[in-house]
Amino acid sequence: MEILKCNGVEKVFGKGDSKVAALNGIDLSVEKGEFVAIVGASGSGKSTLLHILGSVDKPTKGTVMIDGVNIGGLNATDAAIFRRRKVGLIYQFYNLIPTLTVEKNIRMPMLLDKRKPDKEYFEKIIGTLGIENKMQSLPSQLSGGQQQRVAIARSLIYRPAILLADEPTGNLDQKNSKEIIDLLKLSNRNLKQTILLITHDERIALEADHIVTIEDGKIISDQKRR
Amino acid sequence: MWKDYSKSYIKNNRASSVSVMAAALVATMFLSLLCSIAYNFWAYEIEKIVLEEGDWQGRIVGGVDENDLSIIQNFANIEKAVVNKELSEKEDTVIDIYFQNTRTIFRDLPLISAQLGLEDDSIQYHSLLLSRYFIHDPQDAEPPMLLALYLGILVIVAVSLILIIRNSFELSMNARIHQFGIFSSIGATPKQIRICLLQEALVLSAVPILLGSLLGIAISYGLIKVVNIFAGSVAGRHEAAFSYHPLLFAVTIFSSVLTVLFSAWIPARKLSRMTPLESIRNMDGLQLKKRKHSRILFMLFGMKGELAGNALKAQKKSLRISTISLLLSFLGFSIMLCFTTLSGISTRYTYFERYQDAWDVMITVKDTGMVDFGLTQELQNVSGVEAVTVYQKAEAMELLPEDWQSDELTTLGGLNTVAGKVNENGRFQVEVPIIVLDDTSFLEYCYRIGITPSLDGTVVLNQIWDSVNSNFRYKEYIPFVKEDREKATLYNISMDNQNIEIPILSYTQTAPILREEYKKYALVHFIPLTMWKKISEAIGGLESDSYIRIFSSGDATLDDLNGLEKEIEQLLDQEYKIESENRVQEKLSNDSMMQGMVMILGAFCVLLAIIGIANVFSNTLGFLRQRKREFAQYMSIGLTSQEMWQMFCIEAFVIAGKPLLFTLPLTILFVQFAVTASYLEPMVFWAEAPTLPILAFAVAIVFFVALAYYIGGKRLLQCNLNETLRNDALV
Repeated sequence: MEILKCNGVEKVFGKGDSKVAALNGIDLSVEKGEFVAIVGASGSGKSTLLHILGSVDKPTKGTVMIDGVNIGGLNATDAAIFRRRKVGLIYQFYNLIPTLTVEKNIRMPMLLDKRKPDKEYFEKIIGTLGIENKMQSLPSQLSGGQQQRVAIARSLIYRPAILLADEPTGNLDQKNSKEIIDLLKLSNRNLKQTILLITHDERIALEADHIVTIEDGKIISDQKRR
Repeated sequence: MWKDYSKSYIKNNRASSVSVMAAALVATMFLSLLCSIAYNFWAYEIEKIVLEEGDWQGRIVGGVDENDLSIIQNFANIEKAVVNKELSEKEDTVIDIYFQNTRTIFRDLPLISAQLGLEDDSIQYHSLLLSRYFIHDPQDAEPPMLLALYLGILVIVAVSLILIIRNSFELSMNARIHQFGIFSSIGATPKQIRICLLQEALVLSAVPILLGSLLGIAISYGLIKVVNIFAGSVAGRHEAAFSYHPLLFAVTIFSSVLTVLFSAWIPARKLSRMTPLESIRNMDGLQLKKRKHSRILFMLFGMKGELAGNALKAQKKSLRISTISLLLSFLGFSIMLCFTTLSGISTRYTYFERYQDAWDVMITVKDTGMVDFGLTQELQNVSGVEAVTVYQKAEAMELLPEDWQSDELTTLGGLNTVAGKVNENGRFQVEVPIIVLDDTSFLEYCYRIGITPSLDGTVVLNQIWDSVNSNFRYKEYIPFVKEDREKATLYNISMDNQNIEIPILSYTQTAPILREEYKKYALVHFIPLTMWKKISEAIGGLESDSYIRIFSSGDATLDDLNGLEKEIEQLLDQEYKIESENRVQEKLSNDSMMQGMVMILGAFCVLLAIIGIANVFSNTLGFLRQRKREFAQYMSIGLTSQEMWQMFCIEAFVIAGKPLLFTLPLTILFVQFAVTASYLEPMVFWAEAPTLPILAFAVAIVFFVALAYYIGGKRLLQCNLNETLRNDALV
């Protein structure tokens, strides 16, 4: 089942002489439960693509369908609600709310909908991520690896259609990087979570079952490994 | 969720919350103070009008009987109608009318008058009182708009208060763009972000709004007390009583809440409209939109000056209120002090010193002519009284032929230039102020100017100011007319051709010693009472009040004059309605009034300075988040803590120095202009220039700005800046 479909996606920044095409006709299809790695050099357009897929940015041209919804046509409010319920975002710099406890950070997407997460599912996530004893800590009291686990937990809490991770290990040492990738793989296998991971590290990309290579805003290789 | 988030944010960012709360408190206090003062001013105005002219709204004057009165009383919208016995005469009855709904008075009163069969001119409106309730004659194309002007000023001030709070909210909210970007990226809608910010603003401002409103009321109460103390000795002034209406409190609270919501809504809207990407990428550092080069600061302090200058330019918007408030407060304070000093010098020269030996106690005998005043001798016998002059003023006209003008006047342009109308015979119509003196004083005056004392004529003050060759401060005089005529023909002021000839006893350049300022380009006549009695019927033009000048001795103290004044009042009070004043008390009252004015205006300047300084504090307390990254970067390129402190010093120096730098030349220009315009010797002003208070004000501004930077800088440099460089997830 196709969960993500990009058709001729283009993104242009600037106007006139300073016009830069960050994405130039991206066509991409991702099946439900796939673990996709998008690789490319710095400035190739991979982060721009992820922002468009996460509905935090809009394409200049083309369509993006996630779980049957054309996210390019959503207004600001609908895009926010779509992000909340259908997309999990993980950043390199964690982006946790510094004044809220770990527990509240994780629950936040559901709290925005005035909903409570399923207790069993919540405990399963924090147990899997190994942060169950950090619930009352503030983000600043955690290590980088622990903060990234909290960010993953937050992105999974709403059981999103797709999880988008932008260089999630870029700020971590080798040991923590491996642990984070293992955790993502675990959630992909155990929870059937579709994951789209952006990285410039080829070793990490080799862990995925679908590798897409971008160069100068174009897909130059789309390889399914399994 | 938002409750949790806001609670934890407020708890963990006390400085930011305190600056928002302080802004709300100061702004509400100002708003409440202004509303309360404006209300009291309005209430005082009405009270004064009612005391002086009565509280009637409309009047009907004419032949009205009991039956007519009941017709008026039965008219719809009439609250009451009463006969004004004091003003009613035999033929004309005056009915004071009060309306239930005063707004329809200009429609209803003509209807009532028509029903009684009276003409329109039988109607009178209490226009002054009605205008205080914003009720104007619809036929009047230019109704008095003074009150509307005050309201306009109030609205402008209220808007400037919105700007103060808005700035504070903007600073607080801008510090959190990154956090709201995170919220947005995980699905918070723009509306949710806006509501969260507005709720937070209301929670933070609730107590300051209440406190500020009460504080404003308390200060206005205090101010009215102070004004009463300073103006207590002003003759004829009734004391202002503090009044307050619950509706005013509701309006203040409502406007403050609206102000807070509006102030928070502007940045909240801006923030909620940012895309998550923009917000997340916002790293809060100061950003310059264009390349800038701070030449002067670079020249003075090198690279640190350039960095400080750029930081100030990047903060230009948030520092705008500080810059304007500090500039206006210091400029206002300096100019106000210089103005009052100049005005004090001027009053002293033109009034107090000039009339130092002219009077000690002045009595105005209300509605009594000199002819009816019979206590001159008794006044003379009061112990401590050296001289008593009773006089009354009148107005007449004289028709001067051109050949009567003095040679000196001819040289300066002649009667053409100083007299207004010319009649058909080519004579110039000149005003003749008449001072009727009691006979004894007149005879003494004759003796003083060296003529044979006589009660059978007039003494002409033959002088006019030579405004071409002298200024008003150091006046030189020339004769008005040739001194060759022995008789003057005085005309009735209404110029109905009634006139009378009067012998001229003498022409003189010396006026009797009185506390009087005579009209320019007029021929003043001093006439004894005996003579006046003979000519008064033809001349008329007599003022209704008489005056008594009492001189004790040039060096009388306040106690002496108060005692003397009291004794004279006791003597005159039983028979006459009088108003009295004494020279020393008047000087003290004048000084008090000036002091009161300086205090009130000075307080406003201080309040303005407080706004500016509060803004600097709110800015420096917001440093932590905004400038952490900037200073971490400086540190990474090798700037020492000491050098960072120097940067803060330069910034504080510029913020505090700017108003001083702009104000000094402007104040000097103002003084130069005012001294020239008032023909004072510059050294006279500079000897009394209010240097010390101006310097103290400047030092206070510099001190508080430096303190704000010291606190902000200390907090910033105490942070672990290394951590900031490593970690983007800033707290």
